[in-house]
Amino acid sequence: MRVIVLVNVRIEDVVKRFGEVTALRGVSLEIKHGELFTLLGPSGCGKTTLLRIIAGLEYPDEGRIYFDDNDVTDLKTYERGAVLVFQNYALWPHMTVYENIAYGLKIRKVPKDEIKERVKKALELVKLEGYEDRYPTQLSGGQQQRVALARALAVQPKILLLDEPLSNLDAKLRIEMRSEIKRIQRELDITVIYVTHDQEEAMALSDRIAVMNFGVIEQVGTPREIYQRPKTKFVADFMGKNNILPAKIIEIKDGKATLKVLGQVVKGVPVGNIVGDYSEIYFSIRPEKVSLRPFDGAQMLEGRVDLIEYYGFFVEIVIKLHDMFFFVRVPDLKEPIRLGDVIRVYFDPKDVILLQE
Amino acid sequence: MATVVKKAGYRKVLENIFGTPHFDLFAIVSYIIPLAYIFIFLIVPLAEMLKIAFTYNGSFSLHWFESIFSQEFYVRLKPQGSIYVDTPQYIYIEGLDFGVILNSLIVAVLVTIFSTIIGVVLAYIMYRYTFPGKNIFRVLLIVPLLVTPFVNAYVVKLIFRENGIFNWILHDLIGILPKPIRIDGLVGVIIAQSIAYYPIVYLNAYASFVNIDPSLEEQAENLGSKGFRLFRTITFPLALPGIAAGATLTFIFSLEDLGAPIAFHSSSIAKKLITYQVYDKFLSETGYRSPEIAALAIILLAISLAAFALIRKYVSLRQYAMMSKGGRWYVRTFKPKWWQYVIIYAIVLPLVLFTILPQVGVILLAFSKEWSRTPYPRGFTLEHISQIVLDPDVRGYVINSIIYAFTAIIIIVIISIMASYVSNRFRGILSPIVEALTVFPLAVPGIVIAVGYFYFFASVTPRDSILNPLSVSFNPGPILIIAYSIRRMPFTARSIYAGIQQVHASLEEAAMNLGMPRWKAVMSILVPLISMNVLGGAMLSFVYAMSETSVSITIGSLEMSKAPMTAYMRDLIVSAAGSAHMAAALGFILIVVQISAIILSTIITKQRYAFIGIT
Repeated sequence: MRVIVLVNVRIEDVVKRFGEVTALRGVSLEIKHGELFTLLGPSGCGKTTLLRIIAGLEYPDEGRIYFDDNDVTDLKTYERGAVLVFQNYALWPHMTVYENIAYGLKIRKVPKDEIKERVKKALELVKLEGYEDRYPTQLSGGQQQRVALARALAVQPKILLLDEPLSNLDAKLRIEMRSEIKRIQRELDITVIYVTHDQEEAMALSDRIAVMNFGVIEQVGTPREIYQRPKTKFVADFMGKNNILPAKIIEIKDGKATLKVLGQVVKGVPVGNIVGDYSEIYFSIRPEKVSLRPFDGAQMLEGRVDLIEYYGFFVEIVIKLHDMFFFVRVPDLKEPIRLGDVIRVYFDPKDVILLQE
Repeated sequence: MATVVKKAGYRKVLENIFGTPHFDLFAIVSYIIPLAYIFIFLIVPLAEMLKIAFTYNGSFSLHWFESIFSQEFYVRLKPQGSIYVDTPQYIYIEGLDFGVILNSLIVAVLVTIFSTIIGVVLAYIMYRYTFPGKNIFRVLLIVPLLVTPFVNAYVVKLIFRENGIFNWILHDLIGILPKPIRIDGLVGVIIAQSIAYYPIVYLNAYASFVNIDPSLEEQAENLGSKGFRLFRTITFPLALPGIAAGATLTFIFSLEDLGAPIAFHSSSIAKKLITYQVYDKFLSETGYRSPEIAALAIILLAISLAAFALIRKYVSLRQYAMMSKGGRWYVRTFKPKWWQYVIIYAIVLPLVLFTILPQVGVILLAFSKEWSRTPYPRGFTLEHISQIVLDPDVRGYVINSIIYAFTAIIIIVIISIMASYVSNRFRGILSPIVEALTVFPLAVPGIVIAVGYFYFFASVTPRDSILNPLSVSFNPGPILIIAYSIRRMPFTARSIYAGIQQVHASLEEAAMNLGMPRWKAVMSILVPLISMNVLGGAMLSFVYAMSETSVSITIGSLEMSKAPMTAYMRDLIVSAAGSAHMAAALGFILIVVQISAIILSTIITKQRYAFIGIT
């Protein structure tokens, strides 16, 4: 397939209401050309609405959408060239796989021979050669998903929009298709905007992620930034397993804070982005950053072992601190720990992130 | 060892036939009763008729069919008559005569085409556009659904008289027509039937449009499709199974209709339709088992069955509607463009208003003294309506109809629940057969059932029995109840079937797993959950049983003291002109019953209205 002109997408202050419900409360974003960008968030956060606005299927109440420097807000979906792959695939059941994929090409008045060629190429791209004459009902879920993708790719879209494309597939297929999508995106070098509620999928796939909640964007960044340096409590909580405990700042010196976490003192925590009111503060640390053995410069917390779970590539120990649970993940458990034991866990205070509501 | 093998074998047989390896009495009874009932009262009478039609001089022969197809009366490739006759006072149009069989086919095809075009256009407008007055349209569109046998076609005839309202408006008032046009005969039948049956296409098409997953259209738009192309390539093909089902029903209803030909009977060409011929010969040769009637009825049945079989095959091949996997669901509606407003208000609205004229006319006729020389009726009176209550004979016909229809509904509900339950929950050889048999009566023209029953009951019951149509003490009541229960079963059966499909089998399984026997689980879990479907279907069946004509005016009128109201309405329509008012008054009663049923089912089931479907 030929190289596609790369497009940069800019979203400015978009607001969208559905009756009483406000789905988007002033969202701004810039998606760079050739980027695989993910909108991530729980259901009802507005991510699909934002995607449909980019596709031109919904009209924003406020705000503008730009492709490169062109304002496309008022363009109809069929005038935009931002092709959407629907969550339910939306394959036309009365058409064969070939007819489904050729549909957009016929509308673009592509010559017949070229249509044939491009349908073939699109099917090769999604590894479904020879399925031209099947009807969608004769395909498995994964195959239907590939046809939907091929149909979108065949028209060589400026921007490819994917609305939870893997959510109807089983776990194994999901992971397979995930790398497939990434491979195709690299191969074609197109701008892709991807919507999902699965944080693991988002991290594995994306160049950058926007985490959304209640119609606002909480944080935009690379998967690494979002995971390691969450800016809000919601992001820290939503991205992977995390220990988030209420805390109080006792003092701050040279950008390092001394905290009281559920009655225990922790020293030398970087203050980071904390601004304004110090009273409502959360202490957070990833379970894999915690160790059962002391080391130089380590801080510690003490609690009672509540549960030990073996996952294969790690062991999770759940410790009860006051009435809160604290998770520790270690590669293997060599210490003789039993349920009910009171133990100490150690961590580097530099790994602690302070969050505000 | 041997017994074990034998036992396993017997379980395998049970599972293959009934879809359950257990000797489950409730399940088996639920198979046997519907199968036996429909077999005895539909298949056997048809077989009896088949036997008579194919027998000549005591042996198998195609004689009667050869005789029919060789007569110009039945098949005439060079039509007789002219398209119009220019008389001094008016232009007379009644259609060409291609012989009885071709006439029936041509009328049915034309009615299907007209109904389909009107029905689909209206359905699309109602589905896609929001415009002021849409709710008025919605209400108006229910009116043509109200069935008033004979009288609605009679009103169409009045409208298209040389001094009817059609000519009064277009010739006398506006003056578009240079000369009045009088429409009668087969053309009159076509207009009357198109008006009566297009709502069937409309309702099926509307339901199909609404059921289209909106993302299928959105994806097409997203890929660049719009306007008529979007409709032609996506919307219309996706709704086509439903539209085709509605069109096929229209074809069958037109083919089997007796009301319009009887209302237009003063034009001799209107009588040259298969249904009328079978009916006419039945009345004139009562007491004889005429093989020619049987053969003609078989031809009618064959055409109808062929259409029905085709559509069942087609629709089952195209079950797209439910392919969707979640996502948002809403109906995509838009504001019309200016030229679409023009179409809606200047073309579609007058058309819809025209199609409600028969029902309006029936009511006017019922409350007027005279409507023969003027375009509109004259002299308000309550005489006809009050006669229904005061005259014991007339009252008797109405009461007979209510009793027969009500008894038939009880049978229909019991059999439909059993049949729908087993065909939905078990996967044996018999399951699809039971399911198909409950819908099958839709494909059997009423007059065919009437003739079949006449032969069947005359031959299997004792000569002096009240069930024997040849007996002096014959009482048509029981046969009418059976006929109604068979003919109107599909409405209830489909509704219940759809209801059971919505209830997951695990709900009953959980009850059985906790120790309830199957019949108790069905009665206490399933039946309450589908009660709205039962009620909606039963109401529709009741309304259509009350207005049944074919069997009522043949077998029903053999003993007038036990006859249903439609038999009496036919007598009124074919006798002196003035008595049509009384027929219209009875038609008004039917309208009241139907409106009450619609309102009741809207309130109770919260559905807009039950609709007639084939799938």
